[in-house]
Amino acid sequence: MRCAFTKKEAIMPTTQTQGRREFLKGAATGLGLGTLSAMGIFSYSPMRAFFLPEAERKMADFGTCKSVKVTNISETSWFDNSILMGDIKGAGGLLVNQYDYNWAPFGDGSGLAKGSYERGIAKIKHLLPNHLEEAWEIIKTNSVNPDNAGGFAALVEIESLEGKKTKYLLDSGWSYAWMDECFKREGIDKMLQNNEIEALIISHEHFDHFWGLPVTMKYAPNIKIIIPEGFYKEGLQYIKDSGHTGEVVVAKKGRNDWEPGFCTYTFDVPIICRVFGEQSLFVNVQDKGLVSITGCCHQGIIKFADTAYKELKYDNDQMYGLYGGLHISPFEDWDPKYDDLVISLGKWDFQKVGCNHCTGLLTAQKFIRAGYPVVEGTAQHRSKSKAYLGNGDIITFG
Amino acid sequence: METPLFLEERSLVKRYSGPWPLLINTLFIAVLFYISWWIFQDPRGIMRMYTPFEGYMWCRWLLVIMIWIAYVFDFWPFSRTWLKNTHPVLKGVIFTTLTVVLFTVLLKGFFETVLGELAIAYFSPRRLTELGLIEFYAIEYSAQAILMFAAIASWLSPAWVVAAENAPWQNLKQPVKGFTVLMFTFFLSFIVYFVAFHSHMAILFDPWQEFTAITPPWWESFADTVHGNFNIAWIMCCTVIVWMHETIWERYPFSMIERPWLRRTASFMGIIAIAVALSFFLYYAQELAWGEAIRGTRRDESPDWRWLHVGELAIFWLVPTLFMHFYLNNGVNRFSKPTNILFRTLISIAAAVVLYYVYYKTAHLFLGTQKGFSHPQQFPMVPMIWLVNVMLVNYWFMDGWPGWRLSREGEVVKTAHGVHEKSVLTPAFYRGVIGGTLGGVVFYFALVYLLPAMTNALRIY
Repeated sequence: MRCAFTKKEAIMPTTQTQGRREFLKGAATGLGLGTLSAMGIFSYSPMRAFFLPEAERKMADFGTCKSVKVTNISETSWFDNSILMGDIKGAGGLLVNQYDYNWAPFGDGSGLAKGSYERGIAKIKHLLPNHLEEAWEIIKTNSVNPDNAGGFAALVEIESLEGKKTKYLLDSGWSYAWMDECFKREGIDKMLQNNEIEALIISHEHFDHFWGLPVTMKYAPNIKIIIPEGFYKEGLQYIKDSGHTGEVVVAKKGRNDWEPGFCTYTFDVPIICRVFGEQSLFVNVQDKGLVSITGCCHQGIIKFADTAYKELKYDNDQMYGLYGGLHISPFEDWDPKYDDLVISLGKWDFQKVGCNHCTGLLTAQKFIRAGYPVVEGTAQHRSKSKAYLGNGDIITFG
Repeated sequence: METPLFLEERSLVKRYSGPWPLLINTLFIAVLFYISWWIFQDPRGIMRMYTPFEGYMWCRWLLVIMIWIAYVFDFWPFSRTWLKNTHPVLKGVIFTTLTVVLFTVLLKGFFETVLGELAIAYFSPRRLTELGLIEFYAIEYSAQAILMFAAIASWLSPAWVVAAENAPWQNLKQPVKGFTVLMFTFFLSFIVYFVAFHSHMAILFDPWQEFTAITPPWWESFADTVHGNFNIAWIMCCTVIVWMHETIWERYPFSMIERPWLRRTASFMGIIAIAVALSFFLYYAQELAWGEAIRGTRRDESPDWRWLHVGELAIFWLVPTLFMHFYLNNGVNRFSKPTNILFRTLISIAAAVVLYYVYYKTAHLFLGTQKGFSHPQQFPMVPMIWLVNVMLVNYWFMDGWPGWRLSREGEVVKTAHGVHEKSVLTPAFYRGVIGGTLGGVVFYFALVYLLPAMTNALRIY
């Protein structure tokens, strides 16, 4: 047996047609060979940068403010990871629609994964927003693991260059009982009643950020609500069913300015439990730099920072502060991509980091081990570790 | 003498004239896919195995076991007479059940018990739970390790049959040949697993398990990530190229090599070389479409997801390729073999682009997957491989029923083959190769130049 490639006495074509046919066969073979060779040699070589577009910075000026203060009302969205993940596993995993879980407040008594928004809300709608204790009692009898529900909410206070302070409520938590307790502890109930809070910014539609909405409505039903693009029909209906009477603003994908030095940014990011879209906050603090504040940051903290780098102009061109749930290992799970984040976060040179909630304790500990400027908390009001800026803790930038 | 495989030996004939067999089988596959997806995988369905790793593990391993049954064991212990005379539906049920039973035994007996309880803890969900992991993640981590093994096996098992031609055991009889090839490819898979994925598993735990694995992994600086998805990329491309080689490429151009050892070596190594080139290009294509990857991001900008998406893109190419091979007799057969292959390749790529577009536009509406490209729970490989499995059940196990049937003894079967050609090379052929190679390079750079505009025109999100 011999290899045809080494054959010397090649058969010559007898006609022009045969010759053309042989040429075409060779050309078809060569086309594949040439394409594949170029793919292999060029595609992952340093030369490939020649065809990649230059990263252009837009440097959009959204103003400057004097400082920003964040009060952590609650970062404990749930109290026991194993219970939450047991529910998620039992219901069929992380892609199951959150309204189907039969979690509080939409429990209808039919058991895990058999719920629906319509059946759940029907049991409590008549009690919203003014009879939340009574509603919660009904919810407790009909829902799966209602005592595991907590919630995420933070008070963001922007101080303008003239010294005027404007308050925004970021998210409204999950459990009616827990959130009401937290609001009272931090005086949010009074601020809402006195119309001291400019708007409620809902970072995204997730249960632990949004389902405690009636607690805010109880104190300020006419408050302006800013939601990101991507809410499902159940979420939009819940705003109405919670007793809201004010304006609802849908923040479109991209940057949305609210006052000098303060904007939100909506990312069209797909999220577990059938949620889509999240908005996070950017604050430009005079002489310091950019402060990034997040609810869950499902878009990823590096993506969040890179968006600011590409889109915004901020003082000293410095990534200054970071606060919130950074959504890295929220269920204390791990993936090597999170190590990529821990390794690469240092390049962004944040000066002050306050993390909690869905950041994951393991991530916070890895940040501290890596020498990042993590501001530690007091581990009070059911927050689990000082590695987190916990419930009731305050961080000020500027 | 080597016995041809039953799949090579059999001839299928259409039961009906015109396009009906194609239409009937397409409908049959679609219905079977959707019902089985709803029962086993769909997050809104009954068993909800698409978590995603548990469901992913199952569909990858079912594919491997089917390859073992049809290619490695050539349907042993079932006789040719039984294979020819049994109703296709009954055969489909028996072989599919056998596939599931074999994997259950392998999963529970070998991976979770022998390996997980006696050797490496991360193969056992029970041990991981005992060590403090939440049960959900214990199952997901374990499934991740087991499915990575399947990813390798689904490349090496068929590659040893179709590229290495079962050498040096090609003349053995079944089941000796099957067990020998199985053991050898399993052994190879173990080596590749430890080199390509063990480090990935070791850094899932805190602290990194540096005494039992190389951490950070050897590929970190090259791939710009510590994630094992870098290896998923080229291994998935290997899996896909094996089937290109076997189906629409008709083992060309390696089939031109007459010396067996050289042909087998060139085929086996050539598949790897093509796969690596393809994986680099598919990564670059994403950079051209979406910009450079940024390490540390979570989603479609992160290097680890880009490498994963290389594998996903390759799978989108495999589906129309197999469909074209199974139900359209490779589609193009009227020209010379290289020209046929060129047209088939271009058609399958165009079909893959359409499938990709339709999938990301609509899958979340009927499969229960997450909208968007890059959600951690968005694994198009799962529905795509599930669909491939359904096609394999139909074509391998059921002889293409209901649109096709096995030919009867003495029946003349009309097949559309390209013009029969001797594998001899003429000066005109060589001139063509030189011209074609230059044309291929020009084509590549034209594609690179046009890709940003093309992907912009087809922007989904």
